[in-house]
Amino acid sequence: MNMKRVLAVSKRVFMDLKNDKRSLALIIIAPLFAMTVFGLAFSGELKDVNVIVVNHDLGMDVPTIGEINFADDVVNNLDSEVLIIEYKSNLDSALEDLENGEAWAVIYFPEDYTNNTMASMNPMLDASSSIDLYIDMSNANVAESVIMETNSALLATIEDTGGGIPVTIERIDVYGENAEFMDFFVPGIICFTVYLLTTLLTLMSFIGERVSGTLSRVLATPLTESEIVAGYAITFSLVGTFQAIFLVVVGIAVFDVMIVGNVFLAFLVVALLAIVCQALGILLSAFAEREAQAAQFLPFIVMPGFLLSGVFWPLEAIPAWLRPASFFVPPSYAIEATRSVMLRGWGLDMIWPQVLALIVFAIVLLVLAAISLRRRG
Amino acid sequence: MLAVKTDKLVKCYGKFKAVDDLNLHVEKGEIYGLLGPNGAGKTTAIKVLSGLIKKTSGTAKVLDIEVPNKLVSGNVGYMPQETAAYIGLTVHQNIEFFGKLFGLDKEHIAKREKELLEFIDLTDWRDELVQNLSGGMKHRVSLACALIHEPDILFLDEPTVGVDPKLRIKFWKFFTKMKENGTTVIITTHYMDEARRCDRVGFMRQGKLIAEGVPEVLMKETGTDSLEDAFLKYADIERPPVRPGVK
Ligand SMILES: Nc1ncnc2c1ncn2[C@@H]1O[C@H](COP(=O)(O)OP(=O)(O)O)[C@@H](O)[C@H]1O
Ligand SMILES: [Mg+2]
Repeated sequence: MNMKRVLAVSKRVFMDLKNDKRSLALIIIAPLFAMTVFGLAFSGELKDVNVIVVNHDLGMDVPTIGEINFADDVVNNLDSEVLIIEYKSNLDSALEDLENGEAWAVIYFPEDYTNNTMASMNPMLDASSSIDLYIDMSNANVAESVIMETNSALLATIEDTGGGIPVTIERIDVYGENAEFMDFFVPGIICFTVYLLTTLLTLMSFIGERVSGTLSRVLATPLTESEIVAGYAITFSLVGTFQAIFLVVVGIAVFDVMIVGNVFLAFLVVALLAIVCQALGILLSAFAEREAQAAQFLPFIVMPGFLLSGVFWPLEAIPAWLRPASFFVPPSYAIEATRSVMLRGWGLDMIWPQVLALIVFAIVLLVLAAISLRRRG
Repeated sequence: MLAVKTDKLVKCYGKFKAVDDLNLHVEKGEIYGLLGPNGAGKTTAIKVLSGLIKKTSGTAKVLDIEVPNKLVSGNVGYMPQETAAYIGLTVHQNIEFFGKLFGLDKEHIAKREKELLEFIDLTDWRDELVQNLSGGMKHRVSLACALIHEPDILFLDEPTVGVDPKLRIKFWKFFTKMKENGTTVIITTHYMDEARRCDRVGFMRQGKLIAEGVPEVLMKETGTDSLEDAFLKYADIERPPVRPGVK
């Protein structure tokens, strides 16, 4: 691979974008538009959110009624449609799972929970009972639904016992303290727009190259297929990073978005995503014969990104049978990784599985893209 | 060493033989014209020789190297029949890009670009986007891109289509000048009259070479006074290619 030729291609692609006012507008306006419109409009219903219950409640032996355990009642009242409950006996190990992102919340019932609850029923005693709810707030949607579910389970338990128990939930936010929907949304919209625009721009650009004959023409020069692909990759990873920086700045300035992690790590993930997507665009162009056909690819690019990447609603919100499909949607890794970085403050030591997945995608798609450019017949 | 040598060259699209048993010998430093009606297989032959598509069978050698091969691509200039220039780039950006692909440095490109812009008469349009140019102008940009690196061998596929007569004369003068500098020029055209300026021409029909030789000799041989009539004479006679004037 000759670096001078790679850079020549890279500069050529860059000039092409720069000279075309529409591409330029697309790169800047589209993500802004998406951020504003969807950011204000979206929220979703959740399913299958992993939570861990640590029940240390010793219960109470009440004469004539027998053994009672309010914690068990509350757990039974949790909606198993929404929450997938795992039981653990050790609070520390449960919290560790929470820190690792294996669960969204830990619901902890202390030993004296039933005891205190009973006591609080007695107006003579100044007692109150509480459970501890540890929540990963990096996904505001999920967090809110866990809180809601816990609250309604408590209310149901109170109704069952027929008493007005003053229960309070002590909420301890683990990640993303005070995270709001927009905070959760910005990393997703960055990855989504970079995915969409990079794929589309390379797709259109390559259909153009194939149709106009410039592609076969440059392949008749010393330029090789892999040099073309590398040149495109450089330009689009830079453009993707630029978009990410732009959106983060707007997010902070306009929407007061909160970022706790290393934003440069997030940019790196976005650049990687852009490389994956430009290779995808080149690959797709091999299946198009005319420029107008780019539009026919649109649903196949937009829909998976929309539904299966976790951008607008968490992957927990899609049916379980469909979830494995998200493994094949590159932005899903990037979204998870950038969110973890920006909201949880995770480093490379934590997001490496997603980064690795993106690297594997990049290598496979780059090779396939280069092969797809080989002269045929 | 011949500039171009093909032996029983065949190129099929599916079952259709676009180039059929083509034996082409082009000497270094000559202007060779590949003539024939539309669909004769001229473009296909040029595409195989310049390394764009793979042959089906036979041999195709450029500067003694079997093509496609990146070893020769640096010595070859190719101007496709369709106007293949980047319409989203300016004239200057196009020429510069092709210069870089051939490994030329900045000063070299700048010097060549100036000469070429004068030659294609687009000096004033240097910074205009190619998409805003007329068809003929685009075609000239495309030609400049093929010439930037002063190739040893130049494949020009219908370079004079859509070019006005005055400029066409200028083009031919330029090709002659390139020849004097040692460049081999292989040019396809279906304008038979302008092909008189070639050192030698080959008549192609249905993928086959039906006659080959010096224009004057071909006309004399057939008793005609235009290449057009000479072509028709040869096309009438169904027999193996004749090569008057070749020892
Ligand atoms: N990509 C292709 N697929 C199928 N047929 C083709 C293709 N390109 C050219 N042909 C056919 O091959 C024949 C020769 O075409 P071409 O080489 O372009 O002729 P010329 O340049 O002499 O006009 C024509 O009949 C044309 O229809
Ligand atoms: Mg042709």
